[in-house]
Amino acid sequence: MWKWIQRQASPKVFYQTCNRLIPWFFWPFISLLILGLYWSLVVSPADYQQGDGYRIIFIHVPSAILSMMVYAVMAIAGGIGLIWQIKMAEIVAKVSAPIGAGFTIIALASGAIWGKPMWGAWWVWDARLTSELVLLFLYLAYMSLNSAFDNPRTAAKSSSILAIVGLINLPIIHYSVKWWNTLHQGYSVGTGGIKDPDMQIALALMFVASILLYALLVAIKARTEVLIREQNSRWVQEEVRSLMS
Amino acid sequence: MTMVEIFSFLPYGKYAFYVWLAYGVSALTIIALFVSAMRNHANTLLALTNKFSRSK
Repeated sequence: MWKWIQRQASPKVFYQTCNRLIPWFFWPFISLLILGLYWSLVVSPADYQQGDGYRIIFIHVPSAILSMMVYAVMAIAGGIGLIWQIKMAEIVAKVSAPIGAGFTIIALASGAIWGKPMWGAWWVWDARLTSELVLLFLYLAYMSLNSAFDNPRTAAKSSSILAIVGLINLPIIHYSVKWWNTLHQGYSVGTGGIKDPDMQIALALMFVASILLYALLVAIKARTEVLIREQNSRWVQEEVRSLMS
Repeated sequence: MTMVEIFSFLPYGKYAFYVWLAYGVSALTIIALFVSAMRNHANTLLALTNKFSRSK
């Protein structure tokens, strides 16, 4: 296993791994998504307080968790790139940013749409909502900093430092509902969270589907990025030629 | 008539507008991520093909 991970530092091996993994991420993602949607929208009962309006939770909570997980992966991969000079880790960090931003947008949008019927407002400047918005800005800052340099190595170095500094926001988001008085409801997972087994199954299915979606998008995007960065090597020329013929 | 009333014929009644809007926005975001990834890949392959054929 450790040997396998070390071999991924080679661009060609990493490219082939991405190619090979794409179907392994795609089909489980699609199946779990369909099953998860069925469980979320059909099997799960209505909530005793929020009626059917609570069903937004099945996209809101997984995407919010993913928005933070992807950020952590991005910062750690950036750190690995900084410390061990592994280009493939830089690529994982770079391609994670737009995906994480996507999850953050889904979390914020679904939260706003959920807030309107439950709180009577699309948006409030509450600790949880504000810190999640800061996370979106961190992703956008990372992406613009990364694209501001011509040299991908310099870009990776400076944007990784930004990502690592921004890690401080993750515990703030997580504990915001505990530390401050907030309109946002408490944790949905764990003690005091949702208790209905069908709701828990639906949430778990959607969560695993979200992780697979992230992995799938990373594999697709990393492939492109490897081709761009390694365009001067012989195997990329041969690969592109065989793909386009 | 408000949007909530217009969409109340869908499943989930008075919450239908909000629930389907949230699922719709999420689906669009995910589709946009896929489309941009695929497009980027296709454009890169084209650009590299052009570059390699010029250098020959």
